[in-house]
Amino acid sequence: MRIRHLAARLVLAVTLAVAGLGTALAQDADPNAVLNLATNADPTLNPWTPGAVIESNLINTILFDQLTRYSPDDLSPIPALATSWTPEEGGLAWVFELRQGVQWSDGDPFDAADVAFTFNDVVLNPDLGAQSASQFNTIERVDVIDDHTVRFVLKRPFSALPYYLASFAGILPEHALGAAENPLTVAEFNKGNPVTTGPFKVAEFVPGAFVRLEPNPLYWGGAPKLAGMIFRIIPDANTQVAQALAGQLDVVTRLSPNVIDSIERSGRLEVLRQSQNLFFFVAPNHDDARFEDVRVKQALLMAIDRQAMIDAILSGFGRVASGPVAPMLGALFSEDVTQYPFDPEAAGALLDEAGWTMGADGVRAKDGERLAFDMPTGQFGDLVPASLLVQQYWADIGVDADVRVMEWNAYIQEVVLARAYEVTLAWWSMPPTADVAPYFSCSAAQSGNNIPNYCDPELDALMDAGRAALTVEDQVAAYAAMQAFTADELPYLYLWWPDILTAKSVTLQGFPEITAATAFQHAADWYVAR
Amino acid sequence: MIEYVARRLVQGVFVLFLVSLLTFFLINLAPGGPSSLIDFQSTAAEREARMRQYGLDRPVHERYLTWLAGAVRGDLGRSINQGLPVSRLLAQRLPITLTLGGTALVLAALFGVVLGVTAALQRDRWPDHVIGSVATLGMSTPSFWLGILAIIVFAVNFGWLPAAGNASIGRAFDLGDRLRHLVLPAGVLAFSLMPNVIRTTRAAVLETRAADFVRTARAKGLVERVVLVKHTMRNALVPVVAMLGLIATVLFSGSVVIESVFGWAGIGRLAIEAANGRDYPVILGVTLLAGTIVVTVNLVVDLAYAVIDPRIRHD
Repeated sequence: MRIRHLAARLVLAVTLAVAGLGTALAQDADPNAVLNLATNADPTLNPWTPGAVIESNLINTILFDQLTRYSPDDLSPIPALATSWTPEEGGLAWVFELRQGVQWSDGDPFDAADVAFTFNDVVLNPDLGAQSASQFNTIERVDVIDDHTVRFVLKRPFSALPYYLASFAGILPEHALGAAENPLTVAEFNKGNPVTTGPFKVAEFVPGAFVRLEPNPLYWGGAPKLAGMIFRIIPDANTQVAQALAGQLDVVTRLSPNVIDSIERSGRLEVLRQSQNLFFFVAPNHDDARFEDVRVKQALLMAIDRQAMIDAILSGFGRVASGPVAPMLGALFSEDVTQYPFDPEAAGALLDEAGWTMGADGVRAKDGERLAFDMPTGQFGDLVPASLLVQQYWADIGVDADVRVMEWNAYIQEVVLARAYEVTLAWWSMPPTADVAPYFSCSAAQSGNNIPNYCDPELDALMDAGRAALTVEDQVAAYAAMQAFTADELPYLYLWWPDILTAKSVTLQGFPEITAATAFQHAADWYVAR
Repeated sequence: MIEYVARRLVQGVFVLFLVSLLTFFLINLAPGGPSSLIDFQSTAAEREARMRQYGLDRPVHERYLTWLAGAVRGDLGRSINQGLPVSRLLAQRLPITLTLGGTALVLAALFGVVLGVTAALQRDRWPDHVIGSVATLGMSTPSFWLGILAIIVFAVNFGWLPAAGNASIGRAFDLGDRLRHLVLPAGVLAFSLMPNVIRTTRAAVLETRAADFVRTARAKGLVERVVLVKHTMRNALVPVVAMLGLIATVLFSGSVVIESVFGWAGIGRLAIEAANGRDYPVILGVTLLAGTIVVTVNLVVDLAYAVIDPRIRHD
């Protein structure tokens, strides 16, 4: 573990340097600044409550510290409530040393019992159905070794554990929730004043209007540099932008590309092009025998001019995807995979070769069966226009897609849960790791997040190798092989990695640009320049 | 009279029962489910655990009976998505909608009647044409568009008024601040409701002015002001009050849009969130509340007729 010591010293040196820089900058910081942010609905102030998703994620990231968080430089996991971690038994267990002297916002000490409670009693309790609990289903249990050491006992090796622990995995207070029948539905906690460890704590929650945060005087990382934060509840995205332009919001997340111009013209706000491990795709339902021949999928992908779609739908704010792992993952991302440039002629030739020949009605057929697909789509974001564009591209090569537009809630019921579709366009947003097993493995087909119901033991073996690889070099090799496979076999037809657009006030500094989650994990460093 | 009111109240309760029955079964027919059950990123096992927690694994009729048993005892259940009692959510949101809707109704009534009378008196002259154009504009402009436009013009460009919310944070008891926040949303809502009042008033005044008793009033030498106020207006008021009653009931649906645009956390926004998130107990609660308001307003309007026009009697 010499490398770890060296790394620890380096981190220390950098921290000291940054701290020194921070003091210099702090003189220019406005100590009375209150930041205004927006969220689209009443948040639920508990990171594990079912349904606490987009409206709650960022505010919970500020309130609830996690064991790890992402480095603003390269998204590697860095200390938060845990100070160091080491795999044992060939990756079948991980020991986490916890930070000493941390207090909950009500003054109670934070210790190993809180971590054990969060995982053993909440996340791993199957009756509670905790939000994103399935991401942690390789954990058998968490053992308390002493007050400041815990041991995660795993069912199978899971090298990405420290990454996942930084992904919306806040630690809950055992002393406040341990006695509750269901720790995820305590109204006074979730909708009132939760007990937290983060740099800010809840001062006031007016339902439907705003949540006001104030600095947490007990925060382990020292006093934050802002006097407070206000999350305004504004459901309509256009209203959020209008308010930002009117000077009433300092940060707006998940911007639509078509408002970028007006935001940049305002001079008050700047737009950050952030990333996220998120890819858009067309999922072919592999229960359909027509997708057994990979040439059909390859042809369908080559028929789509993805760059033109990015230009049209995202105003160019995105990149053609070659697989599920986004380029933001650095070394773990592999570009050395089969690419499918836009080439309708080659696509047609591939289909001819596969026996799908052009019929009299302009649609290809083979043994009397037409190459026509049922393509349900949900009314959400740009899914409908994107589906219609794909339909056009496929029509050009003699493939008929019947686009059925459905209300979003109904779409999820029919497509994601019941898998009643032949092709469909959607996206996956994943923690920043190359471990994509929940979306590709045989165990997630039919009922899990493997929407295309793709199952190949060879791919499962490649992903298991990645999970068992404990050094970065081994992970890079394992995941490069996996990405080569997923590009050849196309479990999904990859469309693009979108830029995640965030607007922030030009005077707001210390705001990590790499991803929104990372920025909010480092809210203690935010300050407003005078 | 008392017997009439009692009869109407009993009918009202029956109507509310039917409304709840229909709503319950219709929303359960709609595909989809509460947000946490249709969450894109959840697995089947997580969803099944949540189904059991919410009691959604039981048959629909059983769930309705449980809900009804609670409702008659005043317990409207607990929101699935928010985890709070429905009655608490309604109590939080109702005052906000009543403030917005009440102000808009008063503005629409005031300006609508004044402009309607003016248009009638100035029939076929330029004020009539101008008022007619305003009414057409108000009727044909979608209020969400008008709302965003108002925000851009008055909040963003001129900076005169706040863009959203019903009060500045930390100034919850500042009346002036509350009024400033009320101007845009109530104004936009009133603007879209006013055309109905203008048109009804104009038509009613024109019709009454042509009536024999108005000619008689003039013939016996009354001054025009008395003819207008005492003879014309009073008689023209019945259709106008009927229209205001109608508007009071559609205020609910109108404020759904306005509340979303201006970030007001009223009943309308609660309804939208509940419908999108299939929060069954909240949908039922809002529907029941809206039903109660409609039943009450109708009763009040019917009683008001008798006050305005002594020829109308409720026996």
